Amino acid sequence: MQQTTIDRIEPVADGVVSVVLRGSAGALAPWEPGAHIDLNLPNWLTRQYSLCGDPADRERYRVAVRYDPLSRGGSEYIHRFLRQGRTLDVSLPRNHFPLLPAPGYLFVAGGIGITPLLPMLRAATDAGVPASLVYVGQSLASMPFVDELRSRFADRVRLVATRSDGRPDLAALASTLDPAALVYCCGPAPMLDAAEAAFPADRLHVERFRPVARSFPASTPFEAVCARSERTVPVGADESLLNALNHAGLRVPSGCREGVCGSCELTVLDGEPDHRDDIGAPEDRIYPCVSRAASDRLVLDL
Amino acid sequence: MTHARTRPRPLSLDEVRARLGEPEGTATDKIIDHIDDQFRRFIAHSPFLTMATSDAAGRADCTPRGDYPGFVKVLDAHTLAIPDRPGNRIADSFRNLAENDGIGLLFLIPGMREVLRVNGRGYPTDEPDVLARMQTEGRTPELAIVVEVEQAYGHCGRAVIRSRLWDPASQALADEMPTAGEMFTAQLGLDIPPETLDNALEDGYRKLY
Repeated sequence: MQQTTIDRIEPVADGVVSVVLRGSAGALAPWEPGAHIDLNLPNWLTRQYSLCGDPADRERYRVAVRYDPLSRGGSEYIHRFLRQGRTLDVSLPRNHFPLLPAPGYLFVAGGIGITPLLPMLRAATDAGVPASLVYVGQSLASMPFVDELRSRFADRVRLVATRSDGRPDLAALASTLDPAALVYCCGPAPMLDAAEAAFPADRLHVERFRPVARSFPASTPFEAVCARSERTVPVGADESLLNALNHAGLRVPSGCREGVCGSCELTVLDGEPDHRDDIGAPEDRIYPCVSRAASDRLVLDL
Repeated sequence: MTHARTRPRPLSLDEVRARLGEPEGTATDKIIDHIDDQFRRFIAHSPFLTMATSDAAGRADCTPRGDYPGFVKVLDAHTLAIPDRPGNRIADSFRNLAENDGIGLLFLIPGMREVLRVNGRGYPTDEPDVLARMQTEGRTPELAIVVEVEQAYGHCGRAVIRSRLWDPASQALADEMPTAGEMFTAQLGLDIPPETLDNALEDGYRKLY
């Protein structure tokens, strides 16, 4: 956990504010493009936002937040009630969406999905690697950082306002793509689905705000053996592993509870996890908000 | 069992008025008919409220509601929504609202002396866009109570100040109380150890959603 002070909150597009946080005790933890942090809001909610500032600036973090009319209390709080000068605890940066080395990049952003891709474009450009951005939104007024992108990256950026221009032809983009280039895409689900249809899976990296709608086999009960605390917790078919652990008094921090943020990560010591997250859990890890066990027992380092 | 009843002398409203005098102008002027930005901020920081309803015959009932701050959603300047979390399923409030839609709310913010009172008309809903905003710990409530606001006003802090409600030292009062298990086993004449009931309650409290 790191303590920060809110340096500035300002609108950067229709329905989007940027929040600049300054480390209360000097330098903040370093991060790389694609990373996100948890904001612990005064209303007890924890929300994840991609870092979209400059990784070289160790004094400040910047995030951008779109107002969601169906807000459960995160974006609404940030837009309406968060005030400059207030202190805010934030997590260490985590990165499930790292920029892998490649001879070229295509970035495809939809709306607020620009946030993790902006530092990626900057890093690629600074490293002299050919990179371009296709940035899609309903209208230019609703798209954050348009001016910044235009002035810094000029013709590397193509802006597509769907209300006037329609949707971009991702298949056409794929056909002209350097065969060794990697594609990074972040945006709303329909755009990610279109990207998955257009680009080869081994070269496409996506980050989702909300989980993919998928169906899983009926959940079955299992036992979570917590090795460090020497407790065995039964997990019913109708409850998540995370809730079962929390209800048993074993507190596991959590964020999205949808398998996209990674805040509830646990280490698996034995047993066979049934991964249902959208992050891509490493071999020995599990996200208990959505994932379960394929074996009768799952031994956790907890 | 019969209990001796005391019935102190009742007064008419005129008699009460004669003793209290007329309200000061500011006391009634501060009542507004909607949720403005100040009250919206109040509700966004309130984790607890009491909700009063009554049935067609005027039989009254008051119930607590609590959750994370801002659990009551301000849908617009005239409309609130309160999630219905798992409880005892007695549904007193819903039964009352079906007969009489008058509803009175009192919002509290820990540490804040002034309280917010909101009165209006209430009804149940299962509107998905409203319930979606109330999802907590992966659970979405089945129902919510919509409140159409008629009156909203800040109430002065005297009651909270006199009661030392937010003074941490006041929590010593709870030490003078029996446990809930002791209380209920005594009241209901249950032939089980009070700890059994306390443990069962504690288990239930771990699952809040």
